Amino acid sequence: MNAGLLADFSRITPALNVITDHERLRPFETDAFISHRAVPMCAILPEDETQVAAILASCSARGVPVVTRGAGTGISGGAIPSEDGVLLVLTRMNHIGKVDHQARTATVGPGVRNLAVSDAAAAHNLFYAPDPSSQLICSIGGNVAENSGGVHCLKYGLTTHNVLQVRLVLSGGESMTLGSRALDAAGYDLMAVVTGSEGMLGLVTEVVVKLTPVPEHVETLLAAFPSVTDAANAVGRIIGAGVVPAALEMMDKMVIEACEKFMSAGFPLDAEALLLIELDGVREEVADQLVRVEQVLNDCHAQEIRRAKSDAEREKLWKARKGAFAALATIRPDYYTIDGTIPRRCLPDVLARYTQLAEEYRMLVANVFHAGDGNLHPCIFYDATVPGEMERSEELGGKMLEICVEVGGTITGEHGVGVEKLRQMCVQFREAELATFHAIKAAFDPAGILNPGKGVPSLKRCAEWGGMHVREGKMPRADIPRF
Amino acid sequence: MENLIQSLTERVKQAASNNTPLAIHGGNSKSFYGGAIRGDALDLRAYTGIIDYEPKELVLTVRAGTPLQEIETALEAAGQMLPFEPPYYADTATIGGTVATGLSGPRRPYTGAVRDFVLGTRIINGKGEDLSFGGRVIKNVAGYDVSRLMTGAMGTLGVLLDISFKVLPKPTDEITLRFEMDEATAIQRFNEWAGKPLPISATSWHQGVAMVRLSGAAAGVKAAREKLGGEAVADAQAFWRDLRDHRAPFFEDAEPLRRLSVPSTTSPLSLDLPQWIEWGGALRWVKGAADVKVLREKIASVGGHATLFRHGDKSVGVFHPLAPVLAKIHVNLKAAFDPDNILNPGRMDNFS
Amino acid sequence: MQTNLADWIKDTPEGREADSILRKCVHCGFCLATCPTYNLLGDELDSPRGRIYLMKQMLEGEAVTEKTQLHLDRCLTCRSCESTCPSGVQYGRLVDIGRELVEKKVGRSVAEGTQRGVLKRALPRTGLFSAALALGRIMKPVLPKALAAKIPVKRTPGAWPAPRHARNMLVLQGCVQPAIDPDINAATARVLDRVGVSLIAVPSAGCCGSLPQHLGDAEAAHVLIKRNIDAWWTYIEAGAEAVVVTASGCGTMVAEYGHALRNDPVYAAKAAKISALFRDVSQVVAAEQERLSPLLRASTPPSRVAFHSPCTLQHGLKIRGVVEGLLRDAGFELTAVPDGHLCCGSAGTYSILQPELSKQLRGNKIAALTSGSPAVIASANVACMAHLESGLDGKVPVRHWIEMLDEQLAAS
Repeated sequence: MNAGLLADFSRITPALNVITDHERLRPFETDAFISHRAVPMCAILPEDETQVAAILASCSARGVPVVTRGAGTGISGGAIPSEDGVLLVLTRMNHIGKVDHQARTATVGPGVRNLAVSDAAAAHNLFYAPDPSSQLICSIGGNVAENSGGVHCLKYGLTTHNVLQVRLVLSGGESMTLGSRALDAAGYDLMAVVTGSEGMLGLVTEVVVKLTPVPEHVETLLAAFPSVTDAANAVGRIIGAGVVPAALEMMDKMVIEACEKFMSAGFPLDAEALLLIELDGVREEVADQLVRVEQVLNDCHAQEIRRAKSDAEREKLWKARKGAFAALATIRPDYYTIDGTIPRRCLPDVLARYTQLAEEYRMLVANVFHAGDGNLHPCIFYDATVPGEMERSEELGGKMLEICVEVGGTITGEHGVGVEKLRQMCVQFREAELATFHAIKAAFDPAGILNPGKGVPSLKRCAEWGGMHVREGKMPRADIPRF
Repeated sequence: MENLIQSLTERVKQAASNNTPLAIHGGNSKSFYGGAIRGDALDLRAYTGIIDYEPKELVLTVRAGTPLQEIETALEAAGQMLPFEPPYYADTATIGGTVATGLSGPRRPYTGAVRDFVLGTRIINGKGEDLSFGGRVIKNVAGYDVSRLMTGAMGTLGVLLDISFKVLPKPTDEITLRFEMDEATAIQRFNEWAGKPLPISATSWHQGVAMVRLSGAAAGVKAAREKLGGEAVADAQAFWRDLRDHRAPFFEDAEPLRRLSVPSTTSPLSLDLPQWIEWGGALRWVKGAADVKVLREKIASVGGHATLFRHGDKSVGVFHPLAPVLAKIHVNLKAAFDPDNILNPGRMDNFS
Repeated sequence: MQTNLADWIKDTPEGREADSILRKCVHCGFCLATCPTYNLLGDELDSPRGRIYLMKQMLEGEAVTEKTQLHLDRCLTCRSCESTCPSGVQYGRLVDIGRELVEKKVGRSVAEGTQRGVLKRALPRTGLFSAALALGRIMKPVLPKALAAKIPVKRTPGAWPAPRHARNMLVLQGCVQPAIDPDINAATARVLDRVGVSLIAVPSAGCCGSLPQHLGDAEAAHVLIKRNIDAWWTYIEAGAEAVVVTASGCGTMVAEYGHALRNDPVYAAKAAKISALFRDVSQVVAAEQERLSPLLRASTPPSRVAFHSPCTLQHGLKIRGVVEGLLRDAGFELTAVPDGHLCCGSAGTYSILQPELSKQLRGNKIAALTSGSPAVIASANVACMAHLESGLDGKVPVRHWIEMLDEQLAAS
């Protein structure tokens, strides 16, 4: 441990919670992307922006890397520490400030849990819309860093659409306000750049989020299909019919069975694919949409359509969906979740290719994903105790992501790049584009100490990997418009 | 079209090597907006056309020089729309200028701004590099969000080539209600209504009259109308279009027009200037001579920013000055995309 | 999670069990959200996931110190995390194993060791606790206020109906409950008597064993368990239908007798049988609800009640909504209790060993319970009841719900 740095920290405030012993540092060595780990030099749990700024100033003066962590629920490894660096854990900055029901905003610390924001706003019949599966525990700061989505973002948008203003501390320790409580701010849209920047541009110490009125009426439908293709077709046709559901989720047979086994969600076990559809809004509007959706479902050979009859039934269905990943752990001990997005029309084709790949690799793959926005979450099962299985799952995952790029999609819809998808970044982006990302990073963090090695691969690493993917600076299948 | 891109990149490269600024333009419908224009014209109008539009995907990809009119007609035919209700200001408006200025119309507070619907961009940076960011898919978090950064950057960071948008189904029914109420009451009502699940899609207040537009399925609109009261307005479409494009008489004289973007709940500003309020209270247009310094301070104190939108003296700056630490990031970003400062220099005039 | 247990543990029964529990954890972090200590302290190390990691390190052979011990000590064993975990991780079992191993590897300072030793040995002995409590009661007027608040008011037991029914059940008397509120079991006996069941208390049975168990002394716990089994066995052979427990904290222990003694050549089968016969009093009463309901409804409508569901009831035994249903059925109006999943801070000996955290949790819990202005707070575990009472200053009475049903019946 760097003695000078420790002395700096002790001058900030004697009460600063600095952990330097290996025994207590190890629980911080990974987030929810557990196949990668690194024990940091030290971990600090600051209490306010002043402490954060002082810590950053010392670290940048001494060139020490800083990784920020919220609740540690990320599944791309964005919060995995640097071995020679400081881990800033912001979970103690969990104060919920003003909930302004007139303006429909809430001011919260970065460590506040996503769901706690909605809980705090519930009395005013308002809620915070982005709802990643981990919303029970994931922190708002982490949501901003990853630009988290969720099951309802087809209609309500991602974090970037629901955050108005942040306090940002740069690596040098300078603090500033980005965005505004108004609907726009002067200058470049820096909120857009910082949201989803995976902690590489600055540290968010306060967030003003937008609150949304709780819809007057909600209908949740469960439709069972004899094939994945039928379900995928139904997705396109629902949207083609002019309906934008609040959520449109798909699960394949393996997920259905796991959810049923572990959570008794009441899913029909004889179906090959399920769609979970939520319509919300003004009562009459929802009634109108319901008729149209049921028509489409019938036209697309739905073998069974169920409507949640009460809030309790609806919650049960969603609980099963949101707990699906963890429930899958009951099938095999370890799993790896992929997060690519594709144009929706490619769904049946891509899913078929995934099945084929899974067979080639002789691995179990389950699909549970946000079908409405084409965000796929294939889940690859393996047993980490079997040598080579983890590596094979990662290789298979990489191929699946490359298919996403090939059909005009992206390697990450909402989980972020972290350490997990660095390699695929070289597939999706060309050298000059990656160079632009590095230049943006340098514009915010000239010292280059914030979350080094994450999000954007160095050009050198891409060149090392590049032989496989990039030929003469051109993409495979260059005829497909890609951006 | 690839040849055209080639020649555009060449133009930019050349400008960079000669250090001669370029003034990017499309239909010049918004050339009045922003800092003074200087440099050789770089006309994007030839780079036109819809590249990809599949209504079922809710995604549209177009070339920057495409007339806004053409795009909206194509969307209309499929029962869809650009959800941010872009202002034209002139019939010649292109989609490139719409994104570059980042201006949204009356629907903005209820469905979102241009930036909220931009999914991906292909641009030429100040070094003449042809770059693509974002995607044609609704969710994408690979790399920094450069596409949204381009939105409202006034062409200072790159020449927009292709842009992908998320589009939405167009509501089938629309009705506008009229209420007589004072400014303070209107601001309060607008905010109260916005906190309720009502299908409001636009709000306006001017000279003691509040207007509220409801959009959605017929039954929903009807139910909301019963809840809100007020009287129905005939030919309201023209009213909202004239407000969106500043064709109402209020906007038509040569008085300096200021765009005050403030938190929606901000109480009446009492500036003693003629005023038009929209966006549920979050956007307040005022016209006439004003002490810029005092005005800016006042607007900043309520958490907003003031822009000289049209007419008036641009020498004191069009856009609200940035805090030094923010200005520093702007300078760095500008240098990252356009190291020779040749792309629309000075169009965004609140940092240097 | 991938695991690689050290040689010293991997082939032991504890090692195998711990490994299978650890393998289920996917490190998702959901458990943090409902962990009372994480809520208070905001530190990963004071969360279930953090503690699991600390235990994993130890099991994988890394050095362990009092630092790990501190974070394990701070755990309430409320098992709220188990209710939240989507992967079915049996945290409660793991932390029992972990604590015992840490206890062996790290030990305790003299002062700490003495305190824990006294609690472990003294509390389970009904007589000793009663004597101490009696002394405390006499001294209460002259004691400092803070200490006086910890001494619960004594309640006199009512009549225990003589066995008269063919159906009979055993009841666990426990150690602390007879001293604090001996009427709970008597009330249970009276309620069951009305529906045709005689309740039998065997004097030679006592503490359920959970106190030493959760202080990391499984051996001492096993002694107590065996004593209870011996005391009950003849009655069970004679056809006692169930072993009823009126304190949910003790109930979770009795439910696990089979597991605790699974490797005991003599007692394994008997212990399993006891666990199979175990019923929380709410389960017994709910099963007789058809006969009971008409008797209860005959009386005038009673007051507004806030129900505090003990962690051992909702997370440990996973009995949720049953007591609430019985109270509603009896005509009580239940007030809303926010964050009902969080622990009150009593947690066995926790209130004594971790007084600061315990007090904070108690304050939060009392605020939540009284937010709906109830006339009475009802609960299902004597330790929670005493703990809440000590923070309420007599503002709202705290009762076992069975006593309230008993009063209803008496009035009807």
